[in-house]
Amino acid sequence: MGRHTAQAVQARRGHDGKADNTGNAARPAGSARPVRQTRKSQTTRDGEAVARAVDLVKTYGAKDTAVVALDHVNVEFMRGQMTAIMGPSGSGKSTLMHCMAGLDAPTSGKVFVEGLEVSAMGQRQLTKLRREQIGFIFQSFNLVPTLSAEENILLPLQIAGKPIDRAWFDHVVHVVGLEKRLTHRPSQLSGGQQQRVACARALMARPSVIFADEPTGNLDSRSSREVLSFLKTSVHDYGQTIVMVTHDPRAASYADRVLVLADGRIVNDMSHPSYEQILDVFASEGTDDTDGGTAEGEERA
Amino acid sequence: MIRIGLRDARAHFSRFVMSIIAIALGVSFVVGSFCFREMMNDQVDQMMGSNTDHDVYVRGTDEKKDDDTDSSSSSMKTYNDIDDTLVDDIKDVKGVKTAEIVYSVSGSLVLVKQDGNAVSTMGSPTMGIGLAKGTWRSAHLTEGRWATNRNEVALHSYAAETSGLKVGDTTKLVYPSGPEDVTVVGVFDTDVSQAGAIILGLAPDVAKDLYQQQTGEIGRTQYIGVYGSGNKGQPLTNDQQRALADRINKALPAGSKATAITGDQLRDEYSQSIKDMLGFIQPLILIFAVIALFVGSFIIANTFSMIVRESMRGYALLRSVGASPMQVFSTVIIQALLLGLVGSAAGIGLGWGMVRLIVFGMARMGTPLSGAGNPSPTDMLVGLLVGVTVTFIGAALPARRAAMAPPIQAMNETVNPEKPVRPRAVTGTIMVVLGVAAWLFCWRIATVDGEPTSVGFLNALADRYGTGWPLGIGAGLIVIGVIVLAPALVRPAGVVLGFLPSLVFRVTGRLAVRNLSRQKRRTANTAAALFVGVAIVSCLSVVAASAKASVAGIVDTGLKSDFAVSSAASGRIPDAAVDAVKQVDGVKSVSTSRMLMNVKYDGKRISGTSFAEQPSLFTDVFAPVTMSGDANKALRDGELVVGETIAKDRGWQVGDTVTMTGERVSVDEEATAKAQADWQAQTQAKVTALQQEAQKLAASGDAAGAQAKAAEAQQAVTDAQNVDPSTLIRTKSETTRATVKVGAIISNSIYRTMVLMNDETAEKLADQQTMFTIQLFIAAKKGTDTEALRKRLVKAVKPYYVLSVLDREDYKSTMSSMVDQILIILYALLALSIVIAIFGIVNTLALSVSERTKEIGLLRAIGTSRAQVRGMLAIEAAIISVFGTLLGLVTGVGAGVVIRAVYGGNGLEVLSIPWDQLGVFLVLSIVVGLLASVQPAGRALRKPVLDAVASE
Amino acid sequence: MGRHTYDANQQTAIRPTGGSRNDETRSNRMPVAIEAIGLTKDYGEGDSAVHALRGVDVCFEQGKFTAIMGPSGSGKSTLMHTLAGLDSATGGHILLQGEDLTAMNDRQLTLLRRKRIGFIFQSFNLLPMFTAEQNILMPLTLAGAKPDRVWMRTLVRTLGLERRLDHRPNELSGGQQQRVAIARALITRPSVVFADEPTGNLDSISSAEVLDFLKRSVRELHQTIIMVTHDAVAASYADRAIVFADGRIVADEPEPTAERMNALLMQERQRATAMAMAY
Repeated sequence: MGRHTAQAVQARRGHDGKADNTGNAARPAGSARPVRQTRKSQTTRDGEAVARAVDLVKTYGAKDTAVVALDHVNVEFMRGQMTAIMGPSGSGKSTLMHCMAGLDAPTSGKVFVEGLEVSAMGQRQLTKLRREQIGFIFQSFNLVPTLSAEENILLPLQIAGKPIDRAWFDHVVHVVGLEKRLTHRPSQLSGGQQQRVACARALMARPSVIFADEPTGNLDSRSSREVLSFLKTSVHDYGQTIVMVTHDPRAASYADRVLVLADGRIVNDMSHPSYEQILDVFASEGTDDTDGGTAEGEERA
Repeated sequence: MIRIGLRDARAHFSRFVMSIIAIALGVSFVVGSFCFREMMNDQVDQMMGSNTDHDVYVRGTDEKKDDDTDSSSSSMKTYNDIDDTLVDDIKDVKGVKTAEIVYSVSGSLVLVKQDGNAVSTMGSPTMGIGLAKGTWRSAHLTEGRWATNRNEVALHSYAAETSGLKVGDTTKLVYPSGPEDVTVVGVFDTDVSQAGAIILGLAPDVAKDLYQQQTGEIGRTQYIGVYGSGNKGQPLTNDQQRALADRINKALPAGSKATAITGDQLRDEYSQSIKDMLGFIQPLILIFAVIALFVGSFIIANTFSMIVRESMRGYALLRSVGASPMQVFSTVIIQALLLGLVGSAAGIGLGWGMVRLIVFGMARMGTPLSGAGNPSPTDMLVGLLVGVTVTFIGAALPARRAAMAPPIQAMNETVNPEKPVRPRAVTGTIMVVLGVAAWLFCWRIATVDGEPTSVGFLNALADRYGTGWPLGIGAGLIVIGVIVLAPALVRPAGVVLGFLPSLVFRVTGRLAVRNLSRQKRRTANTAAALFVGVAIVSCLSVVAASAKASVAGIVDTGLKSDFAVSSAASGRIPDAAVDAVKQVDGVKSVSTSRMLMNVKYDGKRISGTSFAEQPSLFTDVFAPVTMSGDANKALRDGELVVGETIAKDRGWQVGDTVTMTGERVSVDEEATAKAQADWQAQTQAKVTALQQEAQKLAASGDAAGAQAKAAEAQQAVTDAQNVDPSTLIRTKSETTRATVKVGAIISNSIYRTMVLMNDETAEKLADQQTMFTIQLFIAAKKGTDTEALRKRLVKAVKPYYVLSVLDREDYKSTMSSMVDQILIILYALLALSIVIAIFGIVNTLALSVSERTKEIGLLRAIGTSRAQVRGMLAIEAAIISVFGTLLGLVTGVGAGVVIRAVYGGNGLEVLSIPWDQLGVFLVLSIVVGLLASVQPAGRALRKPVLDAVASE
Repeated sequence: MGRHTYDANQQTAIRPTGGSRNDETRSNRMPVAIEAIGLTKDYGEGDSAVHALRGVDVCFEQGKFTAIMGPSGSGKSTLMHTLAGLDSATGGHILLQGEDLTAMNDRQLTLLRRKRIGFIFQSFNLLPMFTAEQNILMPLTLAGAKPDRVWMRTLVRTLGLERRLDHRPNELSGGQQQRVAIARALITRPSVVFADEPTGNLDSISSAEVLDFLKRSVRELHQTIIMVTHDAVAASYADRAIVFADGRIVADEPEPTAERMNALLMQERQRATAMAMAY
């Protein structure tokens, strides 16, 4: 790791040529024009897209204090891949996932999952979507406290009234290493174990795509590693598609593809990046902002 | 701090609505009970003031120690009778305007309306009072004049209104001896409403006559009323009354055993005793207040728990910038106080309105009241205090939680795990077991002859305290014990009750059942309110059903006669009517039941009634259930047939000899002759005087005057000849004596408190004055068409207006409708408290839902449909509801069974458990639960899934 | 590269000995605002017990801006909460200008929070039903004390809030809300201000603003600020940066830069990974 690498990264990445609100379009010297991955090249590389966002826009709030969370985002998520969506808080990464998963409706634009237009669905259809196409892993409050681990894992299938593949269940449980914990309630499991149960639950139904929202956010290093490696295994061994939002570069390094968002736009799209590469992106990002930011900050006040 | 609290209150207002309603209801019951009592007391005072309005009363000096224990144990003392001739002594005292004995009779007269039907109003009596000018100061003639003879009557304005009669109308007045034509000669009014009583102004001698007939008291009276002239026709002041009374006392002859007391003193005595009697109403209403407030307090606790939970971050923030726990506590409490004030104020208004409504209702039903039922400032203060205190208690714990949580914990929103319920399980079970034991004990005392248990000390207790105490103590222990035990029952109840739902709804059922066990105390408290209400209702249902069944049982199995005739005014059946019935075609036998008055056995009265019957009673009417002796034979032979309770009371056995004493009124030949002679002499003197005047006038040349006077003299003679001889008859009462044997002891429930003898024996003791027919039983000849016979009987009694012919079904239904009427009022009040309990369920569910926001969001995110979420909450609510209801049903039915056993001898022989009614309650409880879940479920589903699950 | 050499093969980290000793070479020796001695904090019990703080010793100088960094679950937030008296420690002592926080009861802590400690959270800093001005004055209102109007004006000016004083929080942008929070934290001129991820929810521009103001409060208003952050860029604003991992301090860097901090963080990750591999 040396400065030259960092500079290369710096050269590669950059801001979109957006005009920020103050009309200050001046860019500090040394930054390069952005290089964006085109849709075409993505498609040919890894197989079809499981989920797509087309010109997604999401704004909150009223005129004066309006916040643009997603700014005309176009992206595709490929089958059989783990994609990490990164970015600082306020970058829109969570919002992007929420829209992709049907938890939130975009202000404009469309979202497709397995060809179905999620953004236009009503309650009934969303329920169906959640039963068949989509699985969730949240940062916390993933499990129903009154049910045992086993019951939690089987819950989505039972809710949908679908038959349970016992062989698959045994396999999943074995892979997450929870054979001895099946009868325990969440309160009797550690944070890492709880998340693993959540992963198992998400996998049980073999959905088209699993959306994970900061799955390791509340975990210590060891548990994080466990959960992440399990997720990676499920992608590589069972072809599961996973889209994960995280702010942790270490977590992102497990992914096959890393999208970086800032201020509502995709500013970077890396394929199989290393941890260092990810870190570099953030480091330079930050430095750049510091110089520019202060000046703007003064003006703002 | 106050500002924060007030702002919070505004934000939470919609949450508070339910709490305000609960508090308002509770306070309204409290205040309403006070208002009601005030109103009743005021009514009593007013009526006292106008009906017992003499300035001074003269009565006996010695309190009568009555052996009469059958009537109500009122605090009214009775004194010895005084001579009615004392009136003359009193009249002469300075300052006395009038001194009279006001005679009134109640219950033996019936007025007939314009349309030919008898005038009767719910429960209010028809009173005939001997009224002439000046008799009753508070009564004012508004039209016409007072009655002067038997065929005239003056009506109180309410009576005139109800009967539709005007001055000049003729109608019938049913005297004990039979109906007679009367003309309405006047209408009078009193300042105060008479609460629906029908008051007739009779001619004073007519009233006196009736009174003497009814009571058998001749020449004696209880009270002489005196009006004083000291205040120009206005009521005397207390001082004036005192002065007058003193003067009268001096004038009373020694040995008269009479004394004069002020009118105020008597009024105070009377009104106190009446108020004491009515005193039972207020505690009854307060019971419902307690239920409402109990539920209200935990609705408030739940509401504030919700609010505190949602505002936890705010409180944490306040704490982190330096708010002390006390300051945080006060922001919550201020909201509570505000809520309490608003609720209490609403409750005060509601309570006042409730009483107004009751007054309105009672007026509609024929009991108009003019008492003022406004809450006094003290009452309102009490209401306010109660409301605010209950609110405070409810909000205190959540407020404390908000204040005490360390800031960081508050930010994490950890839910404290519940304390274990084992201690409560143990305590509760012990209490319930003890309570059941008390009830078993009580039950044994009631049902077993002789020693109820094998433990000596317990038997001694039973002797001393009877059934009342174990019943009450048992009830208290069981109710409280169940409430204590309830949390421990939540889990097993959930498993049992949730079995079916879990079977049908695999996932949501299971989730619902598990959810209930999370907050056992809260679930149990919610069910508790329902439990109490349902327990009371089901207990009453069992008692009522048993009462009705018992009557039906008696009638169906015991009553042999086809018809019964009784007087609608519960008075006498005129002898003429009896004869008329006897002559109706198709009648096999008529058994008359005549009640004897003032009969003593071995010098003491019995706690029951004495009847004169015929042998046909046992063959054609009610078969006796004989314990010892031969009832039929005894009746025929002139021996006594004694009811079981009385026999036990007096220690009589078959073969014992008893000396009976009674009263008979007979013509006093001497006194009558003297009266007649006096009258003659009087008339003679008058005529002579007139004749002498005529002569004087003639002598002085006034021929016309002399003529007139002579005519007068002639008129006087004619009048004297036309006088009604009955007014000259003087009667005397004599004590009669008869010695008889006890011939049989019977145990039919209706006869238990009666002594029966045949007509001959009865007539040795009493006569027409002291004995009268109150019921007829008619057996039809074999093969007669009962429908046609009924028509003929109705025709026969029609001229007597007040007599009604009942067949078996009628008999049964009159009893059950009486029972039903009482129950309606209680059911209404209970429905109200059950509504409040339902509020509790809704409220608890709402709290539970707000705690599970993330969880419900998660469920929806993984594919639970809205319908499934609703279903889960519906099942939870239904189980809570059924849980509470089942507890209530079991307890209530148990209570009902025990109560029935205790009062088995008093008309509740048969135990009847209305399973269908109870089943309806159960089904209703399920419906209630389902309905209760609608609003909280809606609220939960309205929250977008994203808000629930998004990580902060 | 850094002041500390770091041996990735070693199982234990070299404990820093506290900033004050290292600063002996500096011209002025500033007094200590707050220090922790042997601080431990455990959560839960048995199998799932978590040792959030493992015997931490650290000193914070007055008038300095210190950043505490570390990965999630490292215990940095716990450290701050405990230092601020918002959470209780399992063992050890905390001395705030000589007074032992760990020995104080709730009432004393309450007084402390009113006067001597200021706090800025990541979010939900303000009471929604009050205006900015009321929020700023809240600690004084609670204490029943009269505000120092001159100080108030200074703060408001420094933070650029003159035109926002009568706005409610929902009428302010995220950055403005955080500035109000800073003003509130400073209104009582506390001995120490704790900031928990103050820019965590802000976009890049607002973040820069806020960090700038924090720096200025230290420079111009002579406050002491201790900030927890996971963002190396934010840490670069500080005078000193401490890296926390698994309940311990593993690095202590004066005059931190973003790159340096990232490097340190990565070192820590590598070490952690290596350790995890060994299990």
